[in-house]
Amino acid sequence: MSLEDPQDQRGAQEGELVGVTDEGVDYDALEALLGDHVIGRESHVNAEAFVIRPDEVQDVLFALRDEAGFDHCSAVTAQEYEDRYESIYHLKKYDDPTQEVGVVVPTSKRAPRSQSAEPVYRTADWHEREAYDLIGIDYDEHPDLRRILLPETWQGHPMGLDYNQDQPQVVTFESHTNPLAEDQEDDESDTMFINIGPHHPATHGVLHLKTVLDGEQVADVKPDIGYLHRCEEQMAQSGKYRKEIMPYPDRWDYSSAGILNEWSYARAAEDLADLEVPEYAQVIRTMAAELSRMAGHMLAVGTFALDVYGDFTAIFQYAFRDREKILNLLEDLTGQRLMFNYLRLGGVAWDLPEPREEYFDKIRDFLDELPATVEEYHNLLSSNEIFQIRCVDTGVLEPDVAKSHGATGPVARGSGIDYDLRRDDPYGYYPELDWNVITEDGCDNYARVLCRLQEVEQSARIIEQCVDLLAEWPEEDREIQSNVPRTLRPDEDAEIYRAVEAAKGELGIYIRSDGTDKPARFKIRSPCFSNLQTLPEMAEGEYVPDMVASLGSLDIILGEVDR
Amino acid sequence: MGAFETVVLQSGSGSGSAEGAPLTDTIGGLLGFGSNMGPGETLVAAFIGAFFIGNLMLAMTGVAGPWAKRKITAAFTDRIAVNRVGPFGLLIIVADAVRLLSKELVVPDGVDRPAWDIAPILMAGSAMLGFAVIPMGNGIQLADPETGLVYVFAVSSLASLGLVTAGYASNNKYSLLGGLRSIAQNIAYEIPLVVTAASVVIFAGTLRLSEIVAAQTEPLITIVGVSIPSWYAFVNPFAFVLFMAANLAEVGRNPFDIPEAPTEIVAGYQTEYSSVYFVLMYLGEFLHIFLGGAIIATIFLGGPAGPVLPGIIWFIIKIWAVFLFTQWMRSAIPRVRIDQLIEIGWKGMLVLSFANLVLTAVIVGLIA
Repeated sequence: MSLEDPQDQRGAQEGELVGVTDEGVDYDALEALLGDHVIGRESHVNAEAFVIRPDEVQDVLFALRDEAGFDHCSAVTAQEYEDRYESIYHLKKYDDPTQEVGVVVPTSKRAPRSQSAEPVYRTADWHEREAYDLIGIDYDEHPDLRRILLPETWQGHPMGLDYNQDQPQVVTFESHTNPLAEDQEDDESDTMFINIGPHHPATHGVLHLKTVLDGEQVADVKPDIGYLHRCEEQMAQSGKYRKEIMPYPDRWDYSSAGILNEWSYARAAEDLADLEVPEYAQVIRTMAAELSRMAGHMLAVGTFALDVYGDFTAIFQYAFRDREKILNLLEDLTGQRLMFNYLRLGGVAWDLPEPREEYFDKIRDFLDELPATVEEYHNLLSSNEIFQIRCVDTGVLEPDVAKSHGATGPVARGSGIDYDLRRDDPYGYYPELDWNVITEDGCDNYARVLCRLQEVEQSARIIEQCVDLLAEWPEEDREIQSNVPRTLRPDEDAEIYRAVEAAKGELGIYIRSDGTDKPARFKIRSPCFSNLQTLPEMAEGEYVPDMVASLGSLDIILGEVDR
Repeated sequence: MGAFETVVLQSGSGSGSAEGAPLTDTIGGLLGFGSNMGPGETLVAAFIGAFFIGNLMLAMTGVAGPWAKRKITAAFTDRIAVNRVGPFGLLIIVADAVRLLSKELVVPDGVDRPAWDIAPILMAGSAMLGFAVIPMGNGIQLADPETGLVYVFAVSSLASLGLVTAGYASNNKYSLLGGLRSIAQNIAYEIPLVVTAASVVIFAGTLRLSEIVAAQTEPLITIVGVSIPSWYAFVNPFAFVLFMAANLAEVGRNPFDIPEAPTEIVAGYQTEYSSVYFVLMYLGEFLHIFLGGAIIATIFLGGPAGPVLPGIIWFIIKIWAVFLFTQWMRSAIPRVRIDQLIEIGWKGMLVLSFANLVLTAVIVGLIA
């Protein structure tokens, strides 16, 4: 039960959000807001968390959303303990993501049932399906509680404690239905069911869109994911913190954005284990991360052009040509072109390549060419009239819809949501540097492309400043790694959710430590996973080509969606 | 040997003129059939001529499809393209031919069998038929009927039939969508195409292709000794631009490559075709580009006319220029959406082409 006397403070400040103070979130006020709903309180490293009853989820979340302003459900983490199941809703605010709160929903071991949060946050739809799929919690009132990553026929929930990994998954041929067999033929209607993907030129990997077409228009589309599920969470849980987890993040968003992914794990683990990162290493990280972001955005713009232009046209090749240059720079730095494995807990793997001056010159040469390159993109792409009639006002994503679906990154910023963790939840060396967050108000495919193109320029500004800093850095101060214990054992039952701004948006990591040298629960909040959920909103009622363009403008990487 | 030389001389002197001996007669003369050939002799001569022209076009397609297309696109997109097999990668043509022909012909379940087989043949064949009446210079013209222009448009639009047959017979929803799209597109663009060509007919006063070519030989204006011929591209540039745009849609190249649209409907009507049938489809597509080029060269660019080089060379240069143009568009221009395409066709091109036709008629009526 509530530890404190539930004083009724509700309605004291009409129109103002509860729990907002100058120092951050006033958790006591929030607890008072929730009153009897709160049956306990936990302290996570990132925020306080309230424990609530499983049948009061919606009441609590509605109160937190409408009266305390927590409009961003970052992620839903589910896990199984010896004595209970637990779903954690990580809530944030789009205005200020440092204001966080966790909502912990324990459910009984025998019948893990919990109320769905889908009516409050649309993004909970997929997150809860994943929790059901991998952990085995049932969500009441969920509109569509099916497996999401694993096949429908899978037996058991593989991240549960008593799951037998050696149990064969016997699936008879009959039960493993061919999607074509149950063809949704309906004599009454004129619609046509069509499978777009998993093998299709425009799905950017193995994504399956179950589409119902009315003529050429999309009547209904249901993304079906999981074809690239590689148990990344499970693998992270079986690796030791210090070195065995870091190679995996490179494989989530494999569009050369690896450094950003590594940083998400590094940031979470460093905060969890209370590790310092030397300033010099932070500058290197910032520079490398922005190089990664540029490469990722070039790929995004190039493949989007591929989707709209329809062929491997000039703009696609130019984007790839310029991405190669970035990969060369990253190769010099990390020794790898894609799977960098460059960050370490407490710093980076090694210093800049020698001779340093030569490396700086290389980066500066690249940055000097960049304005002309971006200009070329604008000439070929954004100022092309046909491109404009294809992209302006297609794939419209309204800001409140985007927020409800937990969209982040260029997808959110293209809808005018001013949300960038680099500025709003500062980490690395970003606060010391001079750069801008780009937003576009178009809410359409065009706005998202413009957003990415401008972000490339902002990344260039950041890199330029980092290079200047690194060039000036006194030789005796070049500490690339702090002292990190050989075996890292964070405190028992410490829990943290930390996110960084990856190329696609908010890439968050939840870690629960059980006092050993491996995480007890490792959850990845992938930006693509949430962003992809907005596709039906953008595509329904539009033409097939616009749906393809919208999908391209979301810039999903299936490796990160499926993990 | 003497007879052969005479023939070459004859055909050389006849280039570009309406009286130029048709290829059949030339071949008949070459074979010693005499000037009055019987039906059997005409047939043999015609077959030989068709064989010659067909192979010329197929050879050009063979160069264009596996090699030139790659090289051209690569040049537009900062790449190198094929360069390992043979000089400039030219032997890739052989390698590709062997590769494509040795692949398994996959016949999906439930295809509508005769229709599915006919479609690729129809597509390649319809384009080949069109070349029969094109005057290529040096007397290379298989037949010169009075209604040559109508014939060309008639046979080349047979390809639409092939597209929709392929789309429907494949038992694949993507193919079906592609077939429907191609029909919608071809109807929307063939009318402006034909109407624009009709404006040329008003100028020339004839549908006979050799006469249209002959009408373009007079100089339009002479500036400092350089005379610009009265090619209809110069006489009526507006019609030329319209025709080029409509032709892009007709041959299905960007921005009008909607029936294929790989990123939307995979490859449209040709999704289910493999091996030889795919080659035929692909061949048909390239033959159509060349046929489009040949029509453009004939009715807008003076046919085989040109200085110094023999007519046939000029003719080939001109149709390759059109081919280059389609590849340029393909490398640089985004694809429009199907509804936008129909809108451009019916609300834009159609109106413009009729305006052009009426204006031409008025001008010609006033002058003549």
